[in-house]
Amino acid sequence: MFSSIKSPEQRRWVRSCWMSAALVVPLVFGAAVAFRLYHLHGVAAYVVAFLPTLPILWVLVELGRYLAVEKDEFQRTVLVQCVLGGTGGTLATTTIWGYLEDFARAPHLDLVYVYPIFWLFVLVSYPLVRLRYR
Amino acid sequence: MEDRMLFIGMPLLVANIAMAIWGIGYRHLHAAGAYLPAILFALMGVAFIVIFGLYLKEEQDEFQRDLWVQALLWGIGATLTVITLWGSLVEFELAKGLKLMFVFPLFMLITCIARLVLRLRYR
Repeated sequence: MFSSIKSPEQRRWVRSCWMSAALVVPLVFGAAVAFRLYHLHGVAAYVVAFLPTLPILWVLVELGRYLAVEKDEFQRTVLVQCVLGGTGGTLATTTIWGYLEDFARAPHLDLVYVYPIFWLFVLVSYPLVRLRYR
Repeated sequence: MEDRMLFIGMPLLVANIAMAIWGIGYRHLHAAGAYLPAILFALMGVAFIVIFGLYLKEEQDEFQRDLWVQALLWGIGATLTVITLWGSLVEFELAKGLKLMFVFPLFMLITCIARLVLRLRYR
């Protein structure tokens, strides 16, 4: 899977994304089960609630680290532009939806969906940014 | 051009956010009539994003652009962190929900703080 990736830094970044994705599922499931079975409260409840977010935040830390250490200027520029595209798309979506929720009583969008929306826009930006540099 | 648009847009955006916080003018609009003001208010935020994107594209000063890009990256990283943590607490009913429209002001606040810190770093 990683054979096409030349840079070790990029390989580490892709690996951490996959590991995070693999960790999130059991942690979310585990937290949901723990809340249902043990009716958690107090500090324990907060700790269990935060657990599923750790792999998600790890990806953000790894993204920052990768952008700081990547030596290939082109690769870094492409990723930065994709992240900026993702940022713009996410903010536009949350703003429009937020106002529709408040004014027009549109269905509520949970905060946990903001993160996947961001990566969706980053993914959409990628071919567009690559096209610019053809 | 972008400066002038921001000069007009920023106070409107701030007034808009203040209205959202205190709920002024909300909740008594119905059906189709409610969509128009919602989209108009949201367009202010979207216009701000587009203008900022144009500014970044046209900025000739490499240093200034790099400073803004770094601040924006810190802004989105920290915003996603806060939103994800808060979202998780809401999912498990440990915190009250945050209005989705506050994601943008939160991002702007963090980006401005990051820009100030970065400027201090490069002094």
